[in-house]
Amino acid sequence: MTSVPVNQIPAPPSPDRAASPAPGAAPARSPAPSPGAPAPPAPPRRTGPPSRLRSVPGRVLAITGACVLALVLLFGALSTSFQDVNDGLDVIGHDAGPQVVATADLYFALSDMDTQVANVLLIGDEHGLGKGRQRALELYERRRSDAGRAVLQASALAGADPAERRTVQAVLDRLGRYERLAARALLLDEQAGHPAGPPPERVLEVYRQATDLMRLELLPMAYNLTLESGTIVRRAHDEHTSALGTGQVLVAAAGLLALGGLVWLQAFLARRFRRVFNPALLVATAIAGMYALTGFTVLGGEAGLLQEAKREGFDSVLALARARAVGNSMHGDQSRYLLDPERADTYEQTYLDKSQSVLYAPSGNLGAYYTAVAEGVAAYPAKAEFLGLIGQEAARSGPSARQAAIADVLRRYREFQQSDAQLRRATSREAVQVLVGQLATRFEAYDAALVKLAGIHRTTFDRAVRDGEERVEELWFLLPMAMISTAVLIVAGVWPRLSEYR
Amino acid sequence: MRPVSVSAGAFPPDPGRRGRRSGRRPRPLALAAAAGLAVLLAGACGTGRPDSILDRETLVVGVKPDQPGLGMKVGEGRYEGFDVDVATEVARRIGAPRVEFVTVLSSNRQRFIEEGKVDMVVATYSITPVNRSKVTFAGPYYVAHQDTLVRAEDKDVDNVRDLKDRRLCQAAGSNSWRRVKEERQIAVRLVPAATYSECLDKLRDKAVDAVSTDDLILAGFSAETGSAFRIVNAPFTDERLGIGMRKGDLDGCEAVNRALTAMYQDGTAGKLLRKWFGASGLELNFSVPQFEGCA
Repeated sequence: MTSVPVNQIPAPPSPDRAASPAPGAAPARSPAPSPGAPAPPAPPRRTGPPSRLRSVPGRVLAITGACVLALVLLFGALSTSFQDVNDGLDVIGHDAGPQVVATADLYFALSDMDTQVANVLLIGDEHGLGKGRQRALELYERRRSDAGRAVLQASALAGADPAERRTVQAVLDRLGRYERLAARALLLDEQAGHPAGPPPERVLEVYRQATDLMRLELLPMAYNLTLESGTIVRRAHDEHTSALGTGQVLVAAAGLLALGGLVWLQAFLARRFRRVFNPALLVATAIAGMYALTGFTVLGGEAGLLQEAKREGFDSVLALARARAVGNSMHGDQSRYLLDPERADTYEQTYLDKSQSVLYAPSGNLGAYYTAVAEGVAAYPAKAEFLGLIGQEAARSGPSARQAAIADVLRRYREFQQSDAQLRRATSREAVQVLVGQLATRFEAYDAALVKLAGIHRTTFDRAVRDGEERVEELWFLLPMAMISTAVLIVAGVWPRLSEYR
Repeated sequence: MRPVSVSAGAFPPDPGRRGRRSGRRPRPLALAAAAGLAVLLAGACGTGRPDSILDRETLVVGVKPDQPGLGMKVGEGRYEGFDVDVATEVARRIGAPRVEFVTVLSSNRQRFIEEGKVDMVVATYSITPVNRSKVTFAGPYYVAHQDTLVRAEDKDVDNVRDLKDRRLCQAAGSNSWRRVKEERQIAVRLVPAATYSECLDKLRDKAVDAVSTDDLILAGFSAETGSAFRIVNAPFTDERLGIGMRKGDLDGCEAVNRALTAMYQDGTAGKLLRKWFGASGLELNFSVPQFEGCA
């Protein structure tokens, strides 16, 4: 027993402890001893300087502030992401996408101009041969005006890019020169008056200048413009896809922060003011949560749409535009092969090279190529181990409406190649007849099938871009409403509580 | 509350984001959010891009060691020729800090690219569908044409078809002879040789009657050996000479294509062509070639 008083001897400091609990870390965190049992606010002990953060209204304000900050973050992240999606769709859907079409049209028109000039020269005096001289001349005129229109469009879409603008300018300059050379060749040919087949050497000399200008300078420029648009789309796609990923992460983080803050505020108010729910805050939480969730999902969907627009739409449109360009210059090589015996070997080899880049079939020469194509096409779609621009389109397409269109393209391509075999076997005059008759018809049928297939992808592309824009637009429209309503509801939920302290 | 902070602590290695929550009392919600952020960021950053020639400190370029005018070894690690100049210019324009040249041959250049021994190959590398399935090609930086070289006193050959029943040199690893014998189906007699320099020796020694390959290669050789040989000047193919790099390096390929476009637009390419082949009498084309497209 004696020990007790002994123990109590050092007691004196104890009142001290009761009076100033401040040095301990505990009090700030523990409102447990708070006598806040009565609903009307009984301000807790104010010891020392009244830190605003420790007072109940101060803490309510602080938590509310944190919530608002998180919400601002959320809405900010959403609106930047939406802006980003819009920019991406704009580049892909309204800038580089149309540029691919415009420049591919340009290539087609230019290449066909040269083909038609060659055809007119080949027909010579026999004006009625095949589809006739007049038709070739009309086509030449039509392609000329198509080319002019396409250059204008490409120039408008090239925008401020200096390298692209220089290229478009160079195309314009050389086009004028080409037309002069072509006109001279046509005039000389008319004066020469020769039977169907190669024209006299002096006509050929002028035509060689013209076709060299076309094939070595103009066509590469047009083709490279198409490729450049492909580059722009690929970069925009990569950039915006990764930005969308980051945006989604930010939205998720800010959404979680905001929801957490709102729940915290709700819990704090419930404990302090003995109310189970604060309805206004509850609704604000629901709105913020729903909007964050919708935003998050929509951003994910946009990434999917961008992907679809590029992979299913744009990539195929680009590949088919290139196939069409190469196909047309192949067709031109057939005319030039007959027109210029001196260069016939080169034109035959470039024809094979271009055929291989359209649809690759292992073969060392044209004879083997015809056979390989015939076999490969017959085996489609059971076997689709193709390479080349159309080959890869065929290989990556599962059973769908597209597959039927691809099968059609392949079938017509095979027919076109069969006519080519006929052309190379025939004697000079017969060959010209095949060229401007049956072969021209088959080429047009093949080209039309290609255009139809590209149209299917174009539709996919346009739809994906439009869907993407519509979804973002809806959320854009709702964004200010969500912001205003959450702000109003938070104020409505917190204000009455704060005013109890007045 | 506790499990959250534990799991948040499980993501410290996230680089570049360290130290943000040290020194403060753990706030459960902030921690939860940070944990979520860390998880999502880790997912977003996990898919690293394949490396590109654009990321190289030192760009290792493979060139030929034995083709005068194109790629010729002149000393330890020193090469000269059109290919070398094109590679140097391209490297500068894509922003490579340093360039190093190494020897590649037709027989090993694809393997060197695949194994990463070289980053880029500029070595009269023809773009063909088969090559393209293994290597990504930028360019072509030039479209050469196959032509034929004969002894100067041999006046009977005006055209590749005149090679019928003559002896044609077949250099190892090169496909040029196929263009004659298989594509054109011209009945030549093939005489194998290890390299084109050996073909030239054989031509001089009358062991073969003709050498047929890219006109740029022939121009380089004939410039070196004076007037003993004659280029027939009857080109019969288009050979698209590309810049090879690792399959799938689209960023690098597109950057090289832009560099090539700029080189042709500002006249640099024309200057280099004239520098190396101006004296050969070849007809040169100074306009940008039609690119293959990066794939």
